[in-house]
Amino acid sequence: MKKKSKTDPALAVDIAGLKMKNPVITASGTFGYGEEYAEYVNLNQLGGIVVKGLSLKPRLGNPPPRIMETTGGLLNAVGLQNVGVAAFLAEKLPFLRRYDVAVIANIYGESYAEYARVAEKLSAAPGVHALEVNVSCPNVKQGGLSFGANPKAAAEVTRRVKAATDLPVWVKLTPNVTDITVIARAVEQAGADAVSLINTLTGMAIDLRTRRPHLKNVTGGLSGPAIKPVALRMVWQVAQSVAVPVIGMGGILTAEDALEFMVAGAKAVQVGTANFINPLAAEEIVQGMRLYLKHHKIKNIAEIVGTLQV
Amino acid sequence: MTEKAMARNIYLGEVSRNEEVRPDFFLMKIRLPAQFERPLPGQFVMVRVAGLQDPFLSRPLSIYACKQGPRFCTIELLYRVAGKGTRILAGLIPGSQVELSGPLGTGYRVDRTKKNIVLIAGGIGIAPLSLLVRELRRRSCRAADAMTVYLGARTETALVGLDALRQSCSRIIVCTDDGTLGEKAPVTKAFQRDLPKYNPADTALYACGPKPMIRSLAGLLNDQYFCQVSLEERMACGVGACAGCVVAVKDASGNKAYRRVCADGPVFELKDILWE
Repeated sequence: MKKKSKTDPALAVDIAGLKMKNPVITASGTFGYGEEYAEYVNLNQLGGIVVKGLSLKPRLGNPPPRIMETTGGLLNAVGLQNVGVAAFLAEKLPFLRRYDVAVIANIYGESYAEYARVAEKLSAAPGVHALEVNVSCPNVKQGGLSFGANPKAAAEVTRRVKAATDLPVWVKLTPNVTDITVIARAVEQAGADAVSLINTLTGMAIDLRTRRPHLKNVTGGLSGPAIKPVALRMVWQVAQSVAVPVIGMGGILTAEDALEFMVAGAKAVQVGTANFINPLAAEEIVQGMRLYLKHHKIKNIAEIVGTLQV
Repeated sequence: MTEKAMARNIYLGEVSRNEEVRPDFFLMKIRLPAQFERPLPGQFVMVRVAGLQDPFLSRPLSIYACKQGPRFCTIELLYRVAGKGTRILAGLIPGSQVELSGPLGTGYRVDRTKKNIVLIAGGIGIAPLSLLVRELRRRSCRAADAMTVYLGARTETALVGLDALRQSCSRIIVCTDDGTLGEKAPVTKAFQRDLPKYNPADTALYACGPKPMIRSLAGLLNDQYFCQVSLEERMACGVGACAGCVVAVKDASGNKAYRRVCADGPVFELKDILWE
């Protein structure tokens, strides 16, 4: 093990009271429950893991085909297939507790009450460090986008979750709105401790040969490098509109991508689709950040947050 | 040594051979570090061109052969060009580097108690079954005439892997849709004709092929048969994290559930699959 030199830059961040050793978090839905990648990745090297969206009851998810690669992107319509909060607590969380990594539970409900119930159940369990409220899934009929695209509904979900938990509450925002800052401000006023963005952009892909959509669900959420410019723009806008920390994501593949998000105003970042092509993406991004800071003689990662010069 | 090289199951491989063995069918040999785990027949690898960003997802390809040496391991992938990703793989020249993870997924479970071994392959489905045939020969000392392979394809030029298969199996029934070689019939038709010879108690069936083939097989066999099938789906992660590649199955309590082809499969019991 290499000794920590005096010049090693500080990567630790504090997001609304949740301390993480670095600002790199794996995004919900792209890293399973952590265990799927444990044999590839040293989970202790990550700042945090956001687990696959959890609902009160297990969810089947959407019928296949669920995914389609498009130029620079991945369309998915998984539809929040998950084991449900009880099985998560019994079977998945004990594994994650063995690691020194922040565990953020992404939660989903079909009603306000359900969001609150899921939040309540997770808050009672040791080993969950924050909640990320999913009001932005484009692939489910109830909940998801119908809450996240409406400032009043998004605020109400936030209030109900806040009332049900003592954990820091992050609200994950959808880009599928006219003005994302309206939603960001609404959830901030309702008590959100942080906002994370962006979730996927609704899109579709067509098979010309059969003249059918590639996805059984017809539409899906687009992620991957194709959406990075949109995500950067939205992170920048939101960072200027709210006082709470912003967690940026959308197409991050490299440390440079991640640092761009931080310059735009994100205090931390999430790495999603990149995990699929390189399970070590998040770990390599942490290393790349460290090198960048060293090279530019920046002592603390916080110094670059929101430094965009326009 | 880079971090990447230290991670388990992720390798940088070097293409040592990549040639078109039949129109649109390629055989790629990849040289990997010796620690590449011995694959089970039916397992697959996720492979992508090192550093390439479009397409950026890896492609799942089943393992056709594997030779392990003291210094390195060579795997062979027999694949069909089906789209942009596989077309780019087909263009790789010897010396090209690929990022590869594996072996992934479940393999076929060999039931040694069964007297008859029957394999049914459609098109490129021959790839994992060829590895199975060789493993059966090697590990359970099955004679070349103790197994029967039903092999089907669109046309003669799409009958890939047949010559190599003849070296380890002497009972091969060939079918083509257009009758250019063997019987002019779907492979499942030829199998159906012989089905009365195979009673469930002493027959193990292994299949891999396009979904319509697997589906018609499901229509032929009752639940008493031991039949394992390997499925193909579009995949993103290959390790069970994204839930993108699911198939509908009956779970232990008889309810519908979606299982991940990459991590819970690609080999499934045929009787568990739900056809919707």
